[in-house]
Amino acid sequence: MTNYIIRRLILNFFVLWIVASIVFVTTHLLPSDYVEKQVATNLELADNSAAIKEAQHVLGLDKPLWRQYTTFMTDLVTGDFGTSYESRQSTWHELRLRLPTTLELGILIVFVSFSVSIPVGIISAVRQDTWVDYVLRAVSILAIAVPVFFSAVVLTLIDLKLGLFKIDIIGAPHLWTEPINALKLYSIPAIAGGLSGGAGIMRLLRSQMLEVMRQDYIRTARAKGLRDYRVWIRHALKNAMLPVLTVMGLTLAGIVGGQIILEQMFNIDGVGRYVFHRLIVRDFPPFQGTVLVIAFVVVTMNLVVDITYAWLDPRIRYT
Amino acid sequence: MAIASERTAAFPTAQGFGLGRRLRKLAATGRRNKLGTVGVLLVAFVVGIAALAPILQRYDDNRPFQTINPEFNPTANPIDIATNPNLGSPAILNRFEAPSGEHWLGTDQFGRDIYARIIVGAKLAVIIGVGASLIAVISGTLVGLMSGYFGGKTDLIIQRFVDGIQAFPGIVLLLLLVSIMDQPNVPLTVAALGFLGFAVSVRIIRSAALAIRHSTYVEAARSYGATDTRIMLKHVLPNAMASVLIVFSISIGAYILAEASLSFLGLGPADKTTWGKMVNAGRNSVDLHPWEALFAGSAITLAVLGFNLAGDAIRDELDPRLRGR
Repeated sequence: MTNYIIRRLILNFFVLWIVASIVFVTTHLLPSDYVEKQVATNLELADNSAAIKEAQHVLGLDKPLWRQYTTFMTDLVTGDFGTSYESRQSTWHELRLRLPTTLELGILIVFVSFSVSIPVGIISAVRQDTWVDYVLRAVSILAIAVPVFFSAVVLTLIDLKLGLFKIDIIGAPHLWTEPINALKLYSIPAIAGGLSGGAGIMRLLRSQMLEVMRQDYIRTARAKGLRDYRVWIRHALKNAMLPVLTVMGLTLAGIVGGQIILEQMFNIDGVGRYVFHRLIVRDFPPFQGTVLVIAFVVVTMNLVVDITYAWLDPRIRYT
Repeated sequence: MAIASERTAAFPTAQGFGLGRRLRKLAATGRRNKLGTVGVLLVAFVVGIAALAPILQRYDDNRPFQTINPEFNPTANPIDIATNPNLGSPAILNRFEAPSGEHWLGTDQFGRDIYARIIVGAKLAVIIGVGASLIAVISGTLVGLMSGYFGGKTDLIIQRFVDGIQAFPGIVLLLLLVSIMDQPNVPLTVAALGFLGFAVSVRIIRSAALAIRHSTYVEAARSYGATDTRIMLKHVLPNAMASVLIVFSISIGAYILAEASLSFLGLGPADKTTWGKMVNAGRNSVDLHPWEALFAGSAITLAVLGFNLAGDAIRDELDPRLRGR
C-alpha cells in the first residue's frame, strides 16, 4: 500500500508537470498577450509601439520562450505561482481572497446535489419499475440534459414572476456577513448547480443499488428478518456507495475550480469567475497558477478516493 | 477504418439477417427500450430540422424586422428629437414581439425572428456535436488502440498525458483552446471539444484493446507473423468496434451542451447564431421578454436529451453489461 501511494504521488507530479506544460504552451499560442490586449482596449496607446515594447520588457514577455518556460517551472517548484500583471499581487493572494466565496457556493451546490441525489437514488432503486421510479428517473434524465445556465434562468424567471425575493448581485453578501441576502443570492445557483451535479450521482447510485440488491448477502440479510429499511441502508447502500464515492470525490474536488458559468451569471467573485477573466484579459501568471492549483486538488482527490476505496472495501488491494 | 467497415456494418447481428428480419428485430428493440426510442425520434427530429433548415427557417436568421415609423419627421431638428426620440428614425425595430402568426416564436432585442434563429441554431448544434464526437472517436481510437495494444512505456506516457488533460476543469481547457483565435470559428470549436473528448475516448478504447490483446486469436495472428499494424487493424479494432460506436454516440449530447456553455460565456463560434448565445441575450430581460431565453434553452435541452437517450440506448444494445448506468 505504501509503495502504491508513493508511486502514485510520483505519477501525480508527472501529471502536474504535463498540465503545467499544456497550460504554458497553449497560453503562449494565443494570438495576443496582456500588453497587446490592453492596447487594443485602450485606444490612446494604439500607435505607441515603443510603449508596448517597454511594457512587454517589464513583464518579461519579450524573453525567449524556453527561458520563460524554465523560469515558470523553477518558480512553480519553489511554490511561486506567479504574480498578476494587473494587480501586481501574487496568485496566492488573489486566490485567498476568492476561495471563501467559491467554497461558500460550492458547498451549497454539493449540499443540494448530495441531499437530493442520495435519497432519490435509493428510492428509485428500491421501488424499481414503479411510477415513483419512472418519475424520478425522468427528472434525472432531464436534469442531465438541461444546461446549468438555463435552469438558473428559469429559476430566476420563476422567482421574479412570483415575486419571491430580490437578488443582490452587487453587494456581494456572504453567509457570515449577511446570511439572508447571501442565501437569496446563492439559492438559485445552488439549486441549478446542485440539480445538474446530483442527477449523475443519482443515476449511478440507482444502478449500483440495483446491482447490489441482487447479491446473496442481501437475501441473507432479509432471511435474518431484518427490516427493509435496515437492509437498504446498512447492507445495500454501504456497498453501492463505493463507485458513487469516486464521483462524489471529483464533485468535491470540482468545488475549488469554482463554477465559471454560475459565478459569471450571478456576479459572484469566486475562483471560477477569476480564472475566466484572467484568460479574457490574458493575465497569464494567475491563470496558469490557478489552473495548476485546481489540477493539484483534482489529482490529489483522485488519489484520496482510491485510497478510501481500498480502506472501505477490503477486497481491493493495491500493489 | 476501411478494413473494419465491412464487419461493423453487420455488427449488431453478426450472422447477417435479411432486411425484413432486421427491421422486425429493430421494432422489438424499440418496444423494449422505450426511452431509447424517444431518444432516436428526438435525434431524428433535430437532425431533420438541421438538414432542412434552409427550407424551414422562413426568414433569414439575421434579418432585423422593422416597421415604418408613422411619426418620422425628416425635417425635425435635434432638439425636437431629444424631446421625442420617435421623430428621428424612419423605421422602428420590431423588438421583443410575443409569438404570433408572423413570428412563430416572437422576435429578439434586434427584431430578429426567434424561430428562424432556433432552426439555424439546430444546424450548428448538430454539426458541432457530431463533428466533435467524430474527432474524439477517431483520434481516441487510434491512440487508445496503440496504448492498449503495446502497453508498457507507450501506455504509461499516453495515459499520463490523458490524466493531464482530465485534471483540467473541462470548461477552463475549452475556454483556453478556443482563445487560440481572437474570433473562434466552428472548426476551432469542434477541434477543442474533440480534444477534450479525446481523453475520454482513449480511456475506453484502451481498456477494450487491453482485454483483446491477450486473446487467443491475437496470439494466433502473431504466431503466423502478422505485423502489429495488421493485428491492430484486422483483429483488435473490429473486436473493439462496440466500444468505438458507444464512444461515438454517448457524448454527442455532452458536446452540444459544452458548446452551448461556451457560446453562453461569449466564446462560442463568432458570427454564428447559436442557442447558447440566444439564452445569454435573452436572460437579461427574461422577466419582461422571456421568449428568446425559454425557447433557445428548451431547444438545447431537447437536443441534448435526444442525443443522450439515443446514446444510452446504443450502449445498452451493444454492451448489455453497462445497462442502466
